[in-house]
Amino acid sequence: MRALEPQLNFIESFHSYVSLFGRSLRASFAYRASTVTSLVTAVFMYAIPMLVWRQVYAQNPNLGISKAKMFPYLLLAGCVNYAMGMSVEFRIGQRIRQGLIATDLLKPVDFQIAQGIQALSDGLFNGALGMVFFFCGYLVLGKDILPASLFSFGLFLVSFLLAFLIQYFVCFVFVQGAFYTYSGYGIFAARGALQQTFSGMIAPLTFYPPFLKAAGEWLPFRHIIYTPVSIYMGWAQGAEALDLILQQLAWMTGLYLLGKFLMIKSLKQLEVQGG
Amino acid sequence: MDSALQVEKLSKSYKRRVRQPGLLGAAKSLFSSQTEELQAVKNISFSIKRGERVGLIGENGAGKSTTLKMLTGIIVPTGGTLEVLGRVPWQERRQLALNIGVVFGQRPQLLWDIPVRETFRLLKTMYRIPDDVYQVTYTEAVKRLSLEPLLATPVRQLSLGQRMRCDLAAALLHAPAVVFLDEPTIGLDLSVKEQVREYITDIQEKFGITLLITTHDLKDITETCDRLLLLDKGSLLFDGSIKAFEQKYASDRRIVAEVRKPVEAEERATLEKEIIKLGGTLKEAEGHKIVVEHREEGAAPALTQLLLSRLQVVDLNLEKTDIETIVTRIYRQPVGKD
Ligand SMILES: Nc1ncnc2c1ncn2[C@@H]1O[C@H](COP(=O)(O)OP(=O)(O)OP(=O)(O)O)[C@@H](O)[C@H]1O
Ligand SMILES: [Mg+2]
Repeated sequence: MRALEPQLNFIESFHSYVSLFGRSLRASFAYRASTVTSLVTAVFMYAIPMLVWRQVYAQNPNLGISKAKMFPYLLLAGCVNYAMGMSVEFRIGQRIRQGLIATDLLKPVDFQIAQGIQALSDGLFNGALGMVFFFCGYLVLGKDILPASLFSFGLFLVSFLLAFLIQYFVCFVFVQGAFYTYSGYGIFAARGALQQTFSGMIAPLTFYPPFLKAAGEWLPFRHIIYTPVSIYMGWAQGAEALDLILQQLAWMTGLYLLGKFLMIKSLKQLEVQGG
Repeated sequence: MDSALQVEKLSKSYKRRVRQPGLLGAAKSLFSSQTEELQAVKNISFSIKRGERVGLIGENGAGKSTTLKMLTGIIVPTGGTLEVLGRVPWQERRQLALNIGVVFGQRPQLLWDIPVRETFRLLKTMYRIPDDVYQVTYTEAVKRLSLEPLLATPVRQLSLGQRMRCDLAAALLHAPAVVFLDEPTIGLDLSVKEQVREYITDIQEKFGITLLITTHDLKDITETCDRLLLLDKGSLLFDGSIKAFEQKYASDRRIVAEVRKPVEAEERATLEKEIIKLGGTLKEAEGHKIVVEHREEGAAPALTQLLLSRLQVVDLNLEKTDIETIVTRIYRQPVGKD
């Protein structure tokens, strides 16, 4: 028998990714225990803005958005945010620091895509838990939490998918810093802070002071939560919704390419740690 | 295409941030970009033909792993050129990954959370291993490395030695044209080491794999390789067959004799002259012990005969410096010289 020397080819690489996805799902399941703890944390995290807003409405019921819209918004934002949970920075940061990145780079698959598949499997897992939140919310808030229309829901699904990809590519761009600092924590914190502020998780962006709102316009974070939820709620409809989706598409493509480009630069200077 | 690896004046230097000691120093180094350069690999050249089995040795920090990292494409050289299977590793890393097998002994190669068997299935898809090849490599690995009881276990629950065996099996599963093994027997017990060496040799022969292996256990090399590269502080000190290595460095073969009565002074002088004539030197003749050293391979019979005819020999031993001793001696030298 002769040793093998196959050529890379697209279709067969695709098989690898499908196969990889199956294995990633199993790996996500392997961490059930930690998922449950993070779920408990999340409940607390989302409960607090809700409590604050309840107090605000108690003092002044005439805000720009009615209470009947605000609470579904917050809940949906929480669910979407939860589904976006992916440990991209943490995972890649750790692999760089421990030199395990070598293993990944020695596989005949694209690093950005392979890590994305891991993120996707995390996302599906967290998304399923997000659905649990949603049903709990439905029990409390009733039909206020349902989509504005079937059409809005359809557009929401598209927008949600794009939001997920944007989230991943944002993380991927940020994590490039770990190739230089050899740690994922600072990056995680920085991205987290920006995202908390500009994604619309704690309040609809219409409530923001003008300068923050303007800054948010120039950042991709609002497309991760605010855009899909506005479409779901029917705040953005028809042409406006399509325009938002196109913006998402543009951000996604740009961030994907930026990540790819930065990765090439990072690898040029990477000094794989450990003998 | 005859050569599998082609390395020309290859160099790698690492930049390190200079850190001053203490808290103040740490604060200072946050702002200064003072760096020092460390040349890990200096200007090395060699080429390896397809199907060759080569051992790369050198003391800790000699640059072995750095060389392997460059050859596999995960770091970029700072000087020189290199080609593996006609490709520049760091430029065509992903394509090359399909054609090589790698074990970095100290790091796990397998997916951490899923059972070993699942990883193997995944690798079969990823590397597009045809069924007939998989049949051979998989069965062979399971049999030779006793993997059967490990297959259902998640990788993170394996012991170091168990994990290493699985890693090795994974690296050879796709019968790659070139295999790089960085300390593949680290942390293994003696009988498993033997198992591993036999398995490597076996698969290498079956598929005509090109093998480059680094190790601190010279037995790995004497049992699986024909050729030796010796790195010394980043420079290539020796490149040749293991036999040539022994001839070059094993300066001394020794004949150690125990005699009934000590040698007298004048007797000693004449004996010494005769020994020199036969190509040896009298190293020691104190009390009952006589030590003769010689370089020439064929000198032993004549020298032994001489001793037997002149002295009342009680016991006789022929010693050759083994490769371990040679290598230890080379490592101890202050700067790499012949
Ligand atoms: N990432 C890095 N950054 C800075 N210096 C490094 C790095 N990796 C290795 N070095 C240095 O380069 C030199 C060569 O290291 P290398 O790991 O190649 O040695 P080695 O021959 O594999 O040693 P060992 O037998 O201990 O594994 C060492 O002096 C080491 O300190
Ligand atoms: Mg090493």
